[in-house]
Amino acid sequence: MTGTRRGLRFPYRLERRSDVGRWAQLAWLIVAIVAALIASGLLLLTAGADVVEAFGALFGGGFGGWREILETLVRATPLILTGLAAALAFRAKVWNIGGEGQLFAGAMAGYWAFTLFAGLPPVALFLVVIAAAAAGGAAVGWLAALLKTRFNVDEIISTVMMNYIVMFFLSLMLSGVGPWREQGSYYQQSAMLPESAQFLVLLPRSRLHVGFLLAVLAAMAIHILLTRTPLGYEIRAIGFNPTAARFKGTNVPKVMAVTLAISGALAGLAGAGELFGLQHRLVMDLSNGLGYTGIIVAMLANLHPLGVVLAAILFGGLTNGAFRLQVATGVPSAFTFAIQAIVLLFVISASILSSFRVRTVSDVD
Amino acid sequence: MWTEILQGAILASIFASMIRLATPLLLAAMGEMIAERSGVLNLGVEGMMLMGAFSGFMVAYFSGSIWLGVLGAMLTGGLMGLIMAFMAITLKVEQIVTGMALNLLGSGVSLFWHRLLFNKTEEVNVATIQIFQPLRIPGLSDIPYLGEVFFSHRWLTYLAFALVPMIWFFLYRTKYGLEIRCVGENPRAIDVRGVNVARLQYLATIFGGLMAGVAGSFLTLAASPRFVPEISAGRGWLAIVIVIAGNWMPWRIMFAALLFAFLDAFQLHVQGVGVLIPYQILLAIPYVFAILAMMGSRARSEAPRHLGVPYLRE
Repeated sequence: MTGTRRGLRFPYRLERRSDVGRWAQLAWLIVAIVAALIASGLLLLTAGADVVEAFGALFGGGFGGWREILETLVRATPLILTGLAAALAFRAKVWNIGGEGQLFAGAMAGYWAFTLFAGLPPVALFLVVIAAAAAGGAAVGWLAALLKTRFNVDEIISTVMMNYIVMFFLSLMLSGVGPWREQGSYYQQSAMLPESAQFLVLLPRSRLHVGFLLAVLAAMAIHILLTRTPLGYEIRAIGFNPTAARFKGTNVPKVMAVTLAISGALAGLAGAGELFGLQHRLVMDLSNGLGYTGIIVAMLANLHPLGVVLAAILFGGLTNGAFRLQVATGVPSAFTFAIQAIVLLFVISASILSSFRVRTVSDVD
Repeated sequence: MWTEILQGAILASIFASMIRLATPLLLAAMGEMIAERSGVLNLGVEGMMLMGAFSGFMVAYFSGSIWLGVLGAMLTGGLMGLIMAFMAITLKVEQIVTGMALNLLGSGVSLFWHRLLFNKTEEVNVATIQIFQPLRIPGLSDIPYLGEVFFSHRWLTYLAFALVPMIWFFLYRTKYGLEIRCVGENPRAIDVRGVNVARLQYLATIFGGLMAGVAGSFLTLAASPRFVPEISAGRGWLAIVIVIAGNWMPWRIMFAALLFAFLDAFQLHVQGVGVLIPYQILLAIPYVFAILAMMGSRARSEAPRHLGVPYLRE
């Protein structure tokens, strides 16, 4: 970026700074969110809604009271896990776009384990299904790593393709000829899970289930993994400079495989939570894009595991708020998907802008 | 199964469908190739295609003109290309993340406006438009079999295939084509010659968006008369795979697009003759093949060396 423009000397120039303060980042994040809200407000205007009333409903529905907050945590649960899945992989610059497919793979593996071990006592069954779900998601993530390191298949392509393939597989299992279809049902869905298989509800008269605790624990575990363990160091190292990491003796393919497996396992757990904790039956719209929203959550949190929890709660509130928005103003709740993408665009722009500063040129020359 | 499929009429129908189904893939892949040749890795093709399909349908539905629909789809795709270019070239944001953001934007905005416009009137699946009809080339379309396969398509299909030699000529026989190839390969070299790197990349990326938009409009203005959410169904991603499988070269990309379209046409006809394979398995074939194709394409000699890397002076 030079200061000359059409022959005129421009006395300032933008330059990258190496030391970006936390406060500068936070300030830019707030600017980005405000800008995103303004852009979303414009979108609301196209719906002919009263913008103030709409944002009131959006906020009130998400955080307006105790019951709303609990319901927001319910929505945040899978987003914490898919957000962690994306954050961990992205830290290593491994572009796992397959959160959605891994979530479904986890849910299916969990359901399969349930059909095999339905007779176990509830606690044992709980442990078996979450282990199976984590393994299911991990298997899909690991497959992407294998394809990358052995066969040079870009992980972006393979994870996206597997999202579609996994959905077709679920559709097959729930189809008329599939084994999981509820007997005599007109819909593509499994039978309802018995109460013994459902996740424990934490608070009476709420839907907040034990999966939430699992998600928060996972966030802490990933934080410790990244900051306090050799593996975490290697994950960050290959994200920073894979060539340097290789020269230092890091087994890059192995670290990549482990990263993708853990990332997939986290998304798989999200699937288990949605299946056993919330919906209680396997359906085609178990997720509705939670895997993709996890990517946004991770970016919003600047790939920080504990930040993911906060960002997920924010987005959980947004999802709930959108339902109230629809009831109160008639604006379709699909508004959340639009607003989320807009937030992402502004946040990634802000993260770049925060790393620039304006300097007078005479200062440097 | 094979005796039913290997009949002249069925084969002609499969190959005709192949050419029809290749249209959106080819249009989007040609645009993506130009963008990638300039060094910009645009992963937002899926979202651009979806928005193209959506805006094309909406403009056609409310204006009554499918031609305006195509124009609307082009402008929408171009606008998204502009956003991609601004983020990737001016702000130098990680291009992969920007592309994903555009996919989510396309998915979210199209769903939102679709619900907004059609849920109120309870005509979600009823809203249809008069779509483009096949343009039968006089004389040639009467040739048995060949006429059906090659000369009875919508104009967008003819356009897609006509663009292949045109883009080849542009890329390999014109100054701008040379510059675009250079930018992706060695932006510094082109910069020191006094060519504006950012301008070339902007134009290439916007062109990629325009093409993705037109590709999307084929889905709602030529292939089916309605819009349903997520109608692009991964075709944008397949276009990206096709560019890689085609080694960033126009003719090879055309063959790669035809191959993917053939798989799709084949599974449609297998379903059509009532073979007892669950349709989910048939539908998954192109996606499985996409992964396999990536495994096979080890020779990526033409991959732009600076693909996805923002150009920094200094």
